[in-house]
Amino acid sequence: MSTLPASARRYSAWSLLRARYAGPGYWRPLWSGRNLQPAYDVVIVGAGGHGLATAFHLVRDHGLRRVAVLEKRLVGYGNVGRNTTIVRSNYLLPENHYFYEDALRRWETLSRELNYNVMYSPRGVLDLALTNDDFPALARRGNALRLAGIDAELLDLPALERFAPELEPRRKRRFPIVGALLQRRGGTVRHDAVAWGYARAASALGVDIIEDCEVTGVRAAGGAATGVETTRGHVQAEQIVFATAGHTGTIGTMLETALPIETHLLQAMVSEPIKPLLNSVVVYVSPGHGETYICQSDRGGLVMGGHLDGFPSYTREGAWHRLEDVVRGALELFPRIGGVKILRHWAGTNDMTMDGSPIMDRLRYDNVFVNAGWCYGGFKAIPASGAAFAQFVATGTAPELIRPFRLSRFATGHLLDETGQGPFPVRL
Amino acid sequence: MTRLACPFCGPRELREFEFHKTGPAAGGQGEFERVYLRVADPQLSIEHWQHVGGCRAWLLVHRNPSSGLPLAVELLAGNAP
Amino acid sequence: MTAPPLRRGTRLGSGTLSFTFDGRRYTGQVGDCAASALLANGVRLMGRSVKYRRRRGLLGAGPEEPNALFTVGTQAQLIPNVQATQLLLREGLTLRSQNRWPSLQVDLASLLQAGGGLFGAGFYYKTFMWPSWRSYEPLIRRLAGLGDAPLACDLPMPATEHLDCDVLVTGAGPAGLAAALAAARAGARIVLCESEPLCGGELEFERGRIDGQDSDSWLAAMLTELDRLGVRVLTSTTVVADNHGEFIAHAEPGGLPGSNTVYRIRARTMIAAAGALERPIIFANNDLPGVMLLGAAERYLARYGTAVGRDLVLFANHDRAYASAQRLLVGGMRVRAIVDARTDAHSAVGLSDGNALQSLKGSLATAGVEILSASAVTIAEGGRAVRAARIAPLASGGHERRISCDTILVSGGWSPALYADLHGSGAHAYAPELGSFVAAAQSDWHIHAGAANGRLDLAAAMSDGHAAGTRAAAAAGATGDSGSPPQARGDPPPRLAPFARSPCPLVGEKRQFIDLQNDVTVADLRIALAEGFSDIEHVKRYTTLGIGTDQGRSSAVVGAAILAELKGESPAIVGISRSRPPYQPVTMRSIAGFHHGDAVMITRRTPLHDWHAAHGGVLEPMGLWMRPRFYRASGANAADAAVAEARRVRAHGGIADSSTLGKLEIAGPEAAAFLDFMYLGKASTIRVGRSRYMVSLREDGMVLDDGLVLRLAEDRFLATTSSGHGTHMLSHFEHYQAARWSARGATVTDLTDAWAVIVAAGPQSRSTLAQLLGAAWQGPLAQLGHMDFTAGRYAGQDLRLLRASFSGELAFELHCRPAIAARLWEALNAAGLTPYGLDALDILRVEKGYLVSSELNGQTTPLDLGMEALVISSSACLGQALLDRPAFHEASRPRLVGLRAADGRAPFLAGAQLTIDAAPTRPCGYITSSVYSPTLGEWLGLALLARERAAEGATVMARDPLRGRNTPVRVVSPVHFDPTSARMKV
Repeated sequence: MSTLPASARRYSAWSLLRARYAGPGYWRPLWSGRNLQPAYDVVIVGAGGHGLATAFHLVRDHGLRRVAVLEKRLVGYGNVGRNTTIVRSNYLLPENHYFYEDALRRWETLSRELNYNVMYSPRGVLDLALTNDDFPALARRGNALRLAGIDAELLDLPALERFAPELEPRRKRRFPIVGALLQRRGGTVRHDAVAWGYARAASALGVDIIEDCEVTGVRAAGGAATGVETTRGHVQAEQIVFATAGHTGTIGTMLETALPIETHLLQAMVSEPIKPLLNSVVVYVSPGHGETYICQSDRGGLVMGGHLDGFPSYTREGAWHRLEDVVRGALELFPRIGGVKILRHWAGTNDMTMDGSPIMDRLRYDNVFVNAGWCYGGFKAIPASGAAFAQFVATGTAPELIRPFRLSRFATGHLLDETGQGPFPVRL
Repeated sequence: MTRLACPFCGPRELREFEFHKTGPAAGGQGEFERVYLRVADPQLSIEHWQHVGGCRAWLLVHRNPSSGLPLAVELLAGNAP
Repeated sequence: MTAPPLRRGTRLGSGTLSFTFDGRRYTGQVGDCAASALLANGVRLMGRSVKYRRRRGLLGAGPEEPNALFTVGTQAQLIPNVQATQLLLREGLTLRSQNRWPSLQVDLASLLQAGGGLFGAGFYYKTFMWPSWRSYEPLIRRLAGLGDAPLACDLPMPATEHLDCDVLVTGAGPAGLAAALAAARAGARIVLCESEPLCGGELEFERGRIDGQDSDSWLAAMLTELDRLGVRVLTSTTVVADNHGEFIAHAEPGGLPGSNTVYRIRARTMIAAAGALERPIIFANNDLPGVMLLGAAERYLARYGTAVGRDLVLFANHDRAYASAQRLLVGGMRVRAIVDARTDAHSAVGLSDGNALQSLKGSLATAGVEILSASAVTIAEGGRAVRAARIAPLASGGHERRISCDTILVSGGWSPALYADLHGSGAHAYAPELGSFVAAAQSDWHIHAGAANGRLDLAAAMSDGHAAGTRAAAAAGATGDSGSPPQARGDPPPRLAPFARSPCPLVGEKRQFIDLQNDVTVADLRIALAEGFSDIEHVKRYTTLGIGTDQGRSSAVVGAAILAELKGESPAIVGISRSRPPYQPVTMRSIAGFHHGDAVMITRRTPLHDWHAAHGGVLEPMGLWMRPRFYRASGANAADAAVAEARRVRAHGGIADSSTLGKLEIAGPEAAAFLDFMYLGKASTIRVGRSRYMVSLREDGMVLDDGLVLRLAEDRFLATTSSGHGTHMLSHFEHYQAARWSARGATVTDLTDAWAVIVAAGPQSRSTLAQLLGAAWQGPLAQLGHMDFTAGRYAGQDLRLLRASFSGELAFELHCRPAIAARLWEALNAAGLTPYGLDALDILRVEKGYLVSSELNGQTTPLDLGMEALVISSSACLGQALLDRPAFHEASRPRLVGLRAADGRAPFLAGAQLTIDAAPTRPCGYITSSVYSPTLGEWLGLALLARERAAEGATVMARDPLRGRNTPVRVVSPVHFDPTSARMKV
């Protein structure tokens, strides 16, 4: 099942036992610190989930040999390690749900494929309905999923009570809960493990993962890019892939191309650990607090997030008012955790596109590719994005799965606006 | 929390204001560019905000999105780019 | 349990208190914290670690405590994870240990220790893959977590206080006090926040001399002067976040939620004087109950009068340990030995106060304290708690010693509490003489003082604090004289030699615990390094070092130092991991504040709200509004009631409350032109006294909203918006008014709450109104054409009467002042028009094919909704330009259609997808609205269906697998009922 070459140390209970007696020297670095080479077939910018997964698939599926991932800071230091770990494919639009379903199927087997436990936990994702008027929209989405062969269930109040009694659905609330859309295969994945697992697998296949190497420019000649300028000097590349979530706008500036992207902050927060309280992922949106999505990590912390902070920012410093909103939502759901404490909150910078869906396309040059605009959905997309984008780069043709995410859709009107929010990342 | 200096109300807490959108990309003349394309300058973001928790004036706010600090605030009326 | 050690009174009160811990009754003293009371009762075992469930006692005496976390309260109201060190004892307190089964003494999960070597850092990434993680997860989740999830919580609302000051000082230790005093004397307005319940910081036990007084007297005089200068001193209050210039401080008095306060502090400048956190030194079995921080022992003695043990071994790498030993001796504890990791290079010879130190050492020796320099405690011995310390000389060749003791007090120096993330950059620099990091770049707005700048001795800390206070006051514009800096003398300067851990054979490193809560050992760091996790951020994430509830206070810096040692790099290069706000964990109820329960958001009520509630109206939230879905008197259940109400409207008439409609007045010489821009179609061609149904577009061409636009006068219009969009539409109009029309004479005024709207609909509506409104209205009522309106007075108040219909019946909107709304409504009701709710309204409007947000969902263009004529007639309205995009003209774009069941009977529901046949193909549309029509006796739908499939008469499948329905449906006109609108035009 796993595709690791023999040179890599296989992980198993047996390996743990071996290591117990052999000592820490038994283990090998997950990714090796090979030196930066002067030239590559493909240079991928950004060692986050998308960049690393793309590198992995380029080598494993398409046999490319000379692939490098250049990272400004550290493997997995960006949004792949800052999100709320939720994976699901319950999107309304076919373009989105087929794509995210491809990702979800890959999540199901990723641990074994990478021989690295990413802790895929299909605990169910609930989108709560707060009035009967919410059911048609949830049903529209759920029915679309079912017709596409993707699991979805509409829960009325008794069914929701059976599935998630911990929500006390009948409790009196300012915005009462009347039901939910459930995707049972949705759930959580241990986020850091995804970056590390892909890095290990890609490195084992010969990908050079170069940390502390910031790309500062693109060099071009004769209508094609020839390489990138980095803080460690010039690197030649046949093809260049940008997978720099949250900073794609500046990549656009680097390539003198204005993009339909605003850069916003998205916060996440975690409570101190408590014993199991919540056994699923809950998305709770009300006119009261805004949006709260919440799940409980295996360590016991309640992991929460909500809307964007609300204005463009590169600071990664989340505003207190959004923390308040998210916590208010959490306490609407669970008034009983009022005495539990918030331990940490942090923020990531997100590419927010003008229809809320990602962009996977070429940018300015035929040999420059951009994998961007992930809005709220970047983490859950990683395995599908990596596989499909690798195929795109390797073959020059975007696979069907990602063709709808082309940049030209804004001009042609083939928008992928899940929520009908329009060309404004922040709702007025 | 950063304050924005509303030309009518004076410096007020940021939470009284709502961000709506960043200004269109420079040189974007057409309606498509105006609606869809954005400037990505980490040092300067030109934005439309409304003082919803105050006088409801629409404002043109120049901000440094890397520091979060406002650089200038003026009424959108009469200054819209 | 050992015999209770010596006990004196606490500093904070007198008298005894009774409490229970794990069901057993104990007595403590007023002023005790839970930790000190248990210590005084001889209780050492207070918790279990997360991973191996090892027995743990107290490490610290403050927020750094990683082990002693209790669940407080009884079943109904539990507060989990309360640090025993922060919890003020009160009468009758019920404490429970956590994370053990069946008991703290005997925890079956502690058998996991047997597999210790298996469960090194990251073990779970390497296994639990077969058959799937999901098969292990439930057990792992139960083993993890700390306290139980509470079953209920009924905490009172926390207070919120807004403060404004020139200088915010965080920390009322010597540096903070000196800073506050200097700044206050200079004339600045000061808020001083102190996390502890008492001011003074380490003066509590250090007891130096300041300005010629003993420190207690100085402190008392100081607090009096601060009070006189108007300094706001907030104890038990921690500044937890810098919210872009507004500081958030949190007070949880007594360490238990109940009377919490959140302060929002606006300060010109901030001085961070939060002191330093004592670091442990790591040695084998350093997690045994009885291994504590030296400073904690001093605090337990000074504040609580509690001795942490009887026989102590001190293990340190600095001179202050000798002063501490002296005080512990005086406190009645027996200090067996001081193990000093430093070599002779650090002896006191030649130092300015070397003589004092030598005489201190001399007197300690006289008291029987053995001083072992250049040595280290290598192993703590004992089964359930410390019984002895094994001590080895650091140079080779010496003899190993074993000294019996019940307590090992460690001190590896102090790490400044940097408030890194309260300070934008969080810049810091390594200070080798401290073995830790100090604040680097500072601006006038963020000043560090005292320990944060590496000033660890009393004199230096206070003069640094004074300088910071003077600087901050000046930066804030206070120009007074800040006075001279306090002259202080305290313990000798530490003269520390960095020493993070004792020598240890490789195998023993599995017992060298760095993070006690998460059981991260030196061996774990080695594993992380072997696997290539060498950056401190990676190591933190991979090993869980420092991510516990103490937020790394007890482990982060020493962990980084050991990582540096293992990597053979300077700690300066390794750095420390970035900490995340809040600076201390904050209770969620405090964060939520006032906005909780029913107050989570405002509730908008129409002027008729109380009438609905009193007359069986079933009110449900609709956005922020509450609106009646139906009235109980109409039927046995919601569906029956709605059908009955709808039937009544068609047969006779009814009244509905539409006050929630947004109402925007657009006025000015160019109001008409402005509306021509804002709406599809032309407002400028509406005649005064007439209204028109109009649609507005979003910038991208999608339909944004619809409503009636009334021309009140040549230069004045009233635009109604849908109920859910009122606020948005107001901002939207104001935006374009400002952006494009500010110079052109059009104003936007929100009148939503200025007018109540009652709809009287049905064949009897006109006659009922005629009967009710009086003679003056007879003429207008008779003459008013469809979409006309007229204005007059009713009951002495303005009334506007608009003949318009959202039901397909002859209908009137009565726009009246809220003050008379109930009176008018009751009169209409008395005259025979009974109320109908939203569900009935939905039936009526679907019968007529009228649109609501289900159709105007932000994904539909006017072309999708059959409004081509409007599009063609408009010129350059907002959003129109982008309608030309090719995708909007493809055959796959949707078209609004009506649907009926092919068999004329079967129900189908909104939210069903439409496919061309029963095969599982990609949908070609979906049902936006569905109702059972009592008028037509069958189910009706509105749908958005691909144009290529939308021909009337075509059959498609309504696919609703979610609700187990598969219904063949027929495409019909969206106007199901009265297609010529004869009924409303009578």
